[in-house]
Amino acid sequence: MILADSSSSSSPLHFWGYFLDHRAEDLRWLWDHTYLSLIPVVIGLVIALPLGWLSRRYGWLYPPMVSISGLLYTIPSIALFVMVPPLLGLKSLDPLQVPIALTVYSVALLVRVVADGLASVPEDVAQAATAVGYKRLSLLFRVELPIAVPVIAAGLRVATVSNVSMVAIAGTIGQENLGRLFDQGKQLSTTGPYYPPIVLGIVLCVLLALTFDLLIVFGTRMLTPWRRAVVGR
Amino acid sequence: MIGDVLTWLNDPAHWRDTRVDKGIPTQLQTHITFTLIALAIALALALPLGLFIGHTGRLTFLVTAANALRALPTVGVLVLLTVIISPHFHGRTDLGFVIPTEIVLVFLAVPPILSNTYAGVQNVSAAARDAAAGMGMTGTQVLRKVELPCSLPLIFSGFRSATLQVIATATVASYVTLGGLGAFIYDGLQQQDFPQMIGGGVLVALLALLADLLLATIQRYAVSRGISGRFSTKSVIPADAATAQVRTAEASTV
Amino acid sequence: MNRKAITVGAAAAALALALTACGSDSGKSTTSGSTGSTGSGGSTATIASKLILGGPPEFKTRTDGVPGLQKNYGVVFSGYKVLDTGGPVTVTALKNGQVDAADLFTTDPSIAANGFVILQDPKNNFAAQNVLPLISKAKATDGVTKVLNGISAKLDTAGLGAILTKVQNDKQDPDAVAKQWLKDQGLDAAGTDAAGVTLTVGSANFPESVVLAQIYAEALKDHGATVSTKLNIGAREVYVPGLKDGSIDLIPEYNGSILQYLDKNATATSSDDVYAALQKALPPNLVVLDQSKAQDSDAIVVTKATADKYGLTSIADLAKTQ
Repeated sequence: MILADSSSSSSPLHFWGYFLDHRAEDLRWLWDHTYLSLIPVVIGLVIALPLGWLSRRYGWLYPPMVSISGLLYTIPSIALFVMVPPLLGLKSLDPLQVPIALTVYSVALLVRVVADGLASVPEDVAQAATAVGYKRLSLLFRVELPIAVPVIAAGLRVATVSNVSMVAIAGTIGQENLGRLFDQGKQLSTTGPYYPPIVLGIVLCVLLALTFDLLIVFGTRMLTPWRRAVVGR
Repeated sequence: MIGDVLTWLNDPAHWRDTRVDKGIPTQLQTHITFTLIALAIALALALPLGLFIGHTGRLTFLVTAANALRALPTVGVLVLLTVIISPHFHGRTDLGFVIPTEIVLVFLAVPPILSNTYAGVQNVSAAARDAAAGMGMTGTQVLRKVELPCSLPLIFSGFRSATLQVIATATVASYVTLGGLGAFIYDGLQQQDFPQMIGGGVLVALLALLADLLLATIQRYAVSRGISGRFSTKSVIPADAATAQVRTAEASTV
Repeated sequence: MNRKAITVGAAAAALALALTACGSDSGKSTTSGSTGSTGSGGSTATIASKLILGGPPEFKTRTDGVPGLQKNYGVVFSGYKVLDTGGPVTVTALKNGQVDAADLFTTDPSIAANGFVILQDPKNNFAAQNVLPLISKAKATDGVTKVLNGISAKLDTAGLGAILTKVQNDKQDPDAVAKQWLKDQGLDAAGTDAAGVTLTVGSANFPESVVLAQIYAEALKDHGATVSTKLNIGAREVYVPGLKDGSIDLIPEYNGSILQYLDKNATATSSDDVYAALQKALPPNLVVLDQSKAQDSDAIVVTKATADKYGLTSIADLAKTQ
């Protein structure tokens, strides 16, 4: 009885006890949430890099690219989640629906970021690199992209953080991730608010988003040693 | 599939209210109402605050704090506020659900407006500020006549991205029983009526597009020619790293 | 410079004005919209025409939903409010008077807890709703069938209500409640009946379906099957396609609801008739196993106050004039 009482506490602060009681399930959802938020950004970046480079290289591509990606971004995520399976001929509850939809958003966001990042490379730097003898591809990978890293990283931070929030929305349509905690909390708020799963979900989502953010900030520092050199002087 | 969606959108029955269903015009109006309320509140909060922080350079931690709000999962906060607030409203009122929804939407709209306003004011060139002070302007005059007009392009782009996010996210209102275009999406999902669901998504996207066009037009006429470089053959502001960075930092969605 | 500042200020002011004007204007019309359609009273208005019904979205179109109430009883409510599937949102809306009548489930402990009144359904708008397993034919091996039929043989309405109370009111873990129930019924003995079978158990998005799915999943695991779960999928309109395309293999169902979903013109109402009709209506790759005695049907529920005010005991009373 004492056990039942402790596990049925509906205090908001009981979220940690709730986590311990449902550890296996919660950790599985945390893991699902992690890769669902992360993989689309990685794939999105891989797709966005050439697209962004193209729209930087051929100026006439930039306006349509920005309009199309802006338009994609206005589609509500819940609508995109459910539209993906019928459009691609997947099973109706295919777990791929979430990463595919999020990849679309990530590409939409990052194409513009990559193009803007490359645009942030000062013209004289590019000219100097050309003069030293860099060819087009090596110029891109060894000069322009490294200089664009801070801008691209800023875009990646936005993409991952918003992905964490969007994955949770997929939890409300039955996909397995931390969003399920919100659905559980809503369903169990029968005799009064039942806070623990809701608070736990928010806490874990925020921690996840902050972890990603820190990792990207750290990675940016690693990739841009010259910025610290300038600051240190 | 696309044909079914067009048929659904074209069906006059979906443009009328019935006892059971609300039609597209009603849901559109509800959606716009939710959006406007949230944007008005967010603007009233974030614009003065951003101008103040940018002008004085004090309280900058608030900008960081507002940006940290982005890490909050929208549905989670919505569910949390709903279970807290909704049981306290009795009778024929949706307020118990409207208030949590509006709070969540304001949470979404504040960070882009605040950080862009702050960045806009902060980025005003020191030379322009000094010149204004040298002409004998007071601090308030500098803010009103120099800093605000100069930062208007960034403020507008923050407001536009806030608008897009709020319009896209107002769909979750239907997750907590409210109307708006999201009702077509959630109802369509539960009824497995894909044309209705996609039709709802299309309407939201259209609304967002129109809102952005409208704001772009207003921006065109509100921003001083000297700043936007309109009618001039040469851009006044170079596309430097700083503006690009601010632009990327503002985009985010649910 | 000065003129520009004025233009900017004017534009901003105009925008602000437009925002507030639109905001308050449409705010007003939304409120009037939700109350405006109430019947004008008078002797010809039915009781239902003064009331708002609330329930899940699919109840608007389901054969035994709004259309069924009109067809069987001539009951037409003044409006319908989309809530959740017999969950706390619906309960709160009914309790607080956002809606006057609601679609809830008969085993819901909140009905007794809030003193709600279940309106009788003499014309059987809602058919018998015995709990049974709906499973894809390929996974219904003799061993699996034996395990699941063993569960159905022990499950009754009172037991289901007790299970649900543990989950909803005591906030116990559905998985733990499922294991405990199997233990209490002596069904937790390990076996090899389902060995070698791999299947995914799904559930609809309400707690009772979740806990039933856990009971199936735990029992099959005890008997050697490799089981994964996909819970809280959504409404029937979402998970039945999932069963057909193999996203899930097994789900707890209610015989009347699944029959009506599969055959819109179904007329069977008694448990046995429904079960017989269901055999014919199922798609070729799905089967139902034995049905349990446990029933949990949809019901139209009103508050005690509303029932007393209008003298309501049955759904038919809603069509009376007052």
